[in-house]
Amino acid sequence: MQPATQAWGFAAVRLLGTVVIGCGVGWLFGNPWVGLAGALALHLVWVLMYLFRLEWWLRHRSYADPPDPGGVGGEIIAQVVRLHRRKRFHKQRFVQLMRQLQRSTAALPNGVVILNAQREIVWFNRMAARLLNLRRTGDLGMRIENLLREPEFARYLARKDLSNPVVIRQTTPADSYLSLQVVPYGDGQLLLLVSDVSRQMRLEAVRRDFVANASHELRSPLTVISGYLETLSHDPALDSDLQGPVAEMRRQAERMTGIIRDLLELSRLEETGEALGGEPIDVAALLALLRKDTVARPVHPRDIRVRVESDAQLIGDEPEIHSAFSNLVDNAAKYTPAEGSLEMRWWVDDDGGHFAVSDTGMGIPAEHIPRLTERFYRVDAGRSRSTGGSGLGLAIVRHVLQRHGATLEVQSTLGSGSTFTCHFPPGRIRAFRRPVTTVSA
Amino acid sequence: METADLSHHISRRFNEDLERVRSKVLGMGGFVEQQLRKAITALVEGDSSLGEAVALDDHQVNNMEIAIDEECSRILATRAPAAGDLRLIVAIIKTITDLERIGDEGEKIGYIASRLATMERPADKYREIKHLGRVVSEMVHDALDAFARLDVDSALRVARQDRVVDEEYEAIQRQSITFMMEDPRTIRRALDVMWVVRALERIGDHAKNISEYVIYMVHGKDIRHTSLDDVERELREGQRAAGAAAAPSA
Repeated sequence: MQPATQAWGFAAVRLLGTVVIGCGVGWLFGNPWVGLAGALALHLVWVLMYLFRLEWWLRHRSYADPPDPGGVGGEIIAQVVRLHRRKRFHKQRFVQLMRQLQRSTAALPNGVVILNAQREIVWFNRMAARLLNLRRTGDLGMRIENLLREPEFARYLARKDLSNPVVIRQTTPADSYLSLQVVPYGDGQLLLLVSDVSRQMRLEAVRRDFVANASHELRSPLTVISGYLETLSHDPALDSDLQGPVAEMRRQAERMTGIIRDLLELSRLEETGEALGGEPIDVAALLALLRKDTVARPVHPRDIRVRVESDAQLIGDEPEIHSAFSNLVDNAAKYTPAEGSLEMRWWVDDDGGHFAVSDTGMGIPAEHIPRLTERFYRVDAGRSRSTGGSGLGLAIVRHVLQRHGATLEVQSTLGSGSTFTCHFPPGRIRAFRRPVTTVSA
Repeated sequence: METADLSHHISRRFNEDLERVRSKVLGMGGFVEQQLRKAITALVEGDSSLGEAVALDDHQVNNMEIAIDEECSRILATRAPAAGDLRLIVAIIKTITDLERIGDEGEKIGYIASRLATMERPADKYREIKHLGRVVSEMVHDALDAFARLDVDSALRVARQDRVVDEEYEAIQRQSITFMMEDPRTIRRALDVMWVVRALERIGDHAKNISEYVIYMVHGKDIRHTSLDDVERELREGQRAAGAAAAPSA
């Protein structure tokens, strides 16, 4: 039998005993009902005292030394003590887990700040306090943008797409670059990740400066070499054995000039990182110009089509857009045989403006596509050298598109051709209003 | 504490209005800080296009000032704030004026920087200006931090820092005079440099003003035109009295 059932049994027997004794004593004195009432009253007093002791203990719980009043009350106390032990066990485990979690986040090399839906600081780790100059207790509940006032960060917060971290420059307490990323989670809460990217930024700056300076320094001697080679190749007195080598030297010198020009262009694009406003560009005229350039090539695809499906204008930096588009068209022309065809297409829809160059060349193997825009990346080393590209064309395209908030999409089927598509955001597109002067002219 | 006042309001909308305008002021402050930093960089590194960009962007500061001013008038008219809230609005109206002036001084520095970039640079590469610029930028930053945190101690520190700026200003002035006397050909450049140093000194004054508004906002005390030592003593006494009053009830 279970102890609880036993206790209830005792209680029942005790009550029955009280009733019987009360009735018996009452019967002896001639009135069993009075005896019963007296016995029950006594029992009630006893029960109340019992309850009082139980309640008193519950109020001043001393779990270390629980009393044992016996009976049902004893069982109740035992249950309460058991519940308490279980709760304490879970609580300890929870506290331990919390402590571990806190210790691990504190040890993170990155700063972590938890923000609520109002962007108020809920919690942050030690690294965040150090990097962002936050105060342990005083800054809780403060809006993050009140303390992190850099305009770039405010612009970043206002953006819909937070996946790309923003880099801000801080001068206090030390001159440093911080990369900030906000990750939304849970019920409108935000996780702000902070990392110190000063080292990377400085290395990047050194690399940029080096490339720019080296290219610049190489340009002047190369100009001299090209100049002499040009004079030499036109010299009728040149030995016929040397004519071939000199012509080749001249070609290579020209190629090198091209590479250096592209490197300088790239470093200029990198230097001025942010997207610029720009002026409206007449895409139809630009494509007509590109077509003319392509036809002027010594070897070009026979069939070159231009399909302009919208007269909307593109807002951007004209020289840069021209350079990007012409790089794409050049590539297509280079890798398409003379009997193939090349198509340039410009169209506008709800997603923005799109410029596509399709060719019927040999196509690009899928594994190369993600790496195409890397500097000097060659799909096929032997073949590309023979076509004389700098290897920087697509890197330039990528940078120009980045600066205009656009993306590059590459589709290719081996053996049947490739399509390079530039997607411009709707903000870069403006419906064309024909200027009055051209109408009258 | 006064900080609690901002977050416990009967009307949640009112609360949000106050918070929003406060955030706007600090956002404007962040922009001004960046303008100042860019202007100093443009000068020290001889980057004329950066200097021009700073001068061109100043209108944004003016627009922000107008927008915040309008919002403050609206709050004053529709909510009729009292006590701490009223002080907050008054402090904001004053703060944005000073921020706008800092922006103007930054514009001036940017403009001069773009002009100085075309001239020959001195041997010390404007080291003194760089240092002074750093001190002043930090003052502006700390004053805005004090504004965000309603931190009287930091505000007092900023106000004290102004003396350092004044001393530095004197030192650079003396040095420039020496240069001008040594070689009259440098007078033109030295005069431009003096304009920049003067602008930086003025920015320091504006930062000091902002930190004074913080003290006004928190304690309701106008400490303009009083010596800082007096202010500090008075604030300490005020705190002690408040502490003594709070002690028996605890």
